[in-house]
Amino acid sequence: MTDTLFGVELPPRRGFSVPIQVVEQGGITAWLVEDHSVPVVSLAWAWPQGAAADPVGKEGLASISAAMLSEGAGDLDNVGFADALRDEGIDLSFSGGRDSFEGSFRTLTDALPEAVRLAQLAMTRPRLDAEALGRVRARALLASRQSLETPAGLARRAFWEAGFPGFSAGRLSTPDSINAITQEDIRACLAAQVTRGRLLVAASGAIDAAGLRRLLGELFGALPEGTLAATPPLPALASFGITQRPKAAPQSTLVFGQDGLLPIDPGWESFQVALRILAGGGFTSRLMKSVREERGLTYGIGAGLDLLFGRAIVVGQVQTANASVGEVWNLIRAAWREMAANGPTEAEVADALAFLGGSLPLQFTDSRRTANLLLNLRQTGRAPEWLAGRPARLAAIDRTKVAEAAARVLKPDGLVLAVAGEPVGL
Amino acid sequence: MMTRSSETRATLAPGIVPAHVAGMQPVSRRGALKGAAATLAAPALPALAQTPTASPPPRRLDQPLFGAVSWTLGNGLRVVLAENRRAPVAAHYLFASAGAGEDPAGKSGVAHFLEHMMFKGSPNIPSGAFSHTVAREGGQDNAFTSRDVTAYYQIVEASRLPLMMRMESDRLRTPLIPADELESERGVVLEERRSRTDAVPRGRFREAFDAAMWGREHWRGRPLIGWEDEIRAITRQDLVDFHNLHYAPANCVLVVAGDVREADLRRWADEFYAPIPTRPAPPRNRAPLASSAPESRIESRDPAVRESSFLKTFAAPSATWGEKSSVDPLEVVAHLLGGGTGSRLHKALVETGLAVGAGAGYDGDTVGVGTFGVYATPRQGVETARIEQAIEAVLTDLVQQGASEEEVRRGIRQQTAGSLLALDGLGAAPRLLGGALAIGLPLDFVEHWPKRMAEVTRDQVNAAARAVLADPKIATAGWLLPA
Repeated sequence: MTDTLFGVELPPRRGFSVPIQVVEQGGITAWLVEDHSVPVVSLAWAWPQGAAADPVGKEGLASISAAMLSEGAGDLDNVGFADALRDEGIDLSFSGGRDSFEGSFRTLTDALPEAVRLAQLAMTRPRLDAEALGRVRARALLASRQSLETPAGLARRAFWEAGFPGFSAGRLSTPDSINAITQEDIRACLAAQVTRGRLLVAASGAIDAAGLRRLLGELFGALPEGTLAATPPLPALASFGITQRPKAAPQSTLVFGQDGLLPIDPGWESFQVALRILAGGGFTSRLMKSVREERGLTYGIGAGLDLLFGRAIVVGQVQTANASVGEVWNLIRAAWREMAANGPTEAEVADALAFLGGSLPLQFTDSRRTANLLLNLRQTGRAPEWLAGRPARLAAIDRTKVAEAAARVLKPDGLVLAVAGEPVGL
Repeated sequence: MMTRSSETRATLAPGIVPAHVAGMQPVSRRGALKGAAATLAAPALPALAQTPTASPPPRRLDQPLFGAVSWTLGNGLRVVLAENRRAPVAAHYLFASAGAGEDPAGKSGVAHFLEHMMFKGSPNIPSGAFSHTVAREGGQDNAFTSRDVTAYYQIVEASRLPLMMRMESDRLRTPLIPADELESERGVVLEERRSRTDAVPRGRFREAFDAAMWGREHWRGRPLIGWEDEIRAITRQDLVDFHNLHYAPANCVLVVAGDVREADLRRWADEFYAPIPTRPAPPRNRAPLASSAPESRIESRDPAVRESSFLKTFAAPSATWGEKSSVDPLEVVAHLLGGGTGSRLHKALVETGLAVGAGAGYDGDTVGVGTFGVYATPRQGVETARIEQAIEAVLTDLVQQGASEEEVRRGIRQQTAGSLLALDGLGAAPRLLGGALAIGLPLDFVEHWPKRMAEVTRDQVNAAARAVLADPKIATAGWLLPA
């Protein structure tokens, strides 16, 4: 570590650690990062499945079911429920993701009892009124159709459809599938999904372990035990080559990717470093330098690791004028090939490791972000100690390990591409 | 709001693909205070080992929200500190009191292009080294341009704050704006324009709408990023001139939030920023408004559009223009008229099945005229005329009958109930405080917003609604329709 930079002395960093408490109540465990400096509590929880359990022809069911939980519960109709939340400044939301079903709230501590009451009411006594379903369905139809208005929406959809044909990851909602969803479908979805089984919980903010234990009982104690099945695993990403969706627009969107490395792999963090150097994080990646900074061909380019259904997929995106699509695609593959063949430089590895280590405090931002991060770690299968061990693991990574991970995982000739627009030069 | 780059997150846990194209949410004072602070990009920290376990006493309404302190350097640079000791992190924001609204006539896009070129080096920091250094120190950096301000920020481990101040002050004093990097960056800006506007039908519509309402070459009607032909015509000298004129220390505001002591910040501000020579701060020199909208109605038919949208916007007072005491009441008007479930527009259009969504919004934290807008997205098959009739009926009823005492009190309660959530992070304080000071408002404008809102009366609300919505002089209605 440099002692001075641009004439400014750099003192040693202050120590930073994030103690994670593990709290258990009635078989449900929660991770907690406690902090009382601001009177706010954030809670995030999740079950597996989500859209993975959507029946064929009813794509969108998990997402719509989640939305229905905020449309009235118990004696409160949709307006009464919304008012109850907003009178106290409580943010409560539910979402149905591709392979998970999630809930979260953030509230001032004064309003915590009310937040718990309303969240519990939503999960145990949702009204599922027909009029509310009509409104939620209309919103889903709108979103589904609007997503096809832009090259970006078309390309993202095309990537998953081509990558996992016939699997739920590749089956996205359509107006027909949204219209086919009934109240009974939603009831069945929620009954299977909102249970005590396989529930993961994370909390952050002004609450202690005893308070969180009580909260777990109040919030989840009344849920049925449930028998949520494990989500069936996905196959490898299909090698679909290039798929195109014509769209009259001056700019194309490219979504590209390949299979990635699972978090349980011992080389995962080395691969994370390789991916950051190649395509991740802000302005410093090779792709950002090559495509944006040197040639001015895009506003932004990058790739990250997407985890779903027990698979890891590297997914990247870039937008460029139609005439430059061929050039950008060649630059992406060239950067991929170079990294796979020769790995990073010593300086690149040092920079990436410095960033990953130094950014740790910033990752624990507001309480909601912290709770979400803890939940993501749990969904990834990490142990609570994983975080504390991170600096030591990063310190053990060197150029050789990163180059090995890059060579093992990156497949320049296996990169697939979904592109929407009027691309030239592919 | 334009940004230098859409923001990405470092991931400890994968599962999130960086949102390279998602862009940053524009942030308004009230949006953040209403509890949307977590949509802000900037972080803060929780949970350290030594945090006390006792909760602080509840805050009272008459306490300042952030408790910020402020002073002015000899060269006129205003410095603000919002201390927050949750964790060893500091957010460092430099605001220039100049945005796209200050672009010279016929040269829209200068403020934003300059924002991009500010990352291309200064006498002591080579091109590209700024962001590289921030990343190497584990931090995040970016910048954004609005109509009223241009802001540059970094979020870093607290001990790296002096390094940020060193780098930021260097480019504030003298950016290099290297000629040999101008054309590639112009390409980046043009791609940004395509990503936000040219390839996005709703972006194209918003741009056409503003031009129709205010005039294509008027500062309020031009796109922040600039018209394409004008971006292409911007010269290096245009950027140098804009910097020379507008980036005077006395025309800037520095805001630091986080684990920083006032005495330290005073010392570093003196060391890094105070030596920048004094220059006069230019006045905001914006053209007056036309007496009416150039076009009071537009219909855009776009083959890419699948769903129709309606938007009607009214010229409105702002915190710096017109009847300034209407600003807080208009926030209440926007809430009870169209602030989501339970609002008047929601009841009349969404609950009845006419529209998928409907609402209202007010932007009064601006230099010059503010805007009040209502919008609706019809359900498929609903005639556009029915949507407009329903909206007009709601507006007419509010203007003629006024809002009830209960509606007003509840609206105020719902808007302010979550204001303390703005303390949950390091993003809200610098953006709100810096944004206010940079458009000429006092710190109290932000610090005592909840208290002021609590004092808003029903009469004020109804008078403000009438003044803006009844017989508007500048207003435009527009439909975006499938071709």
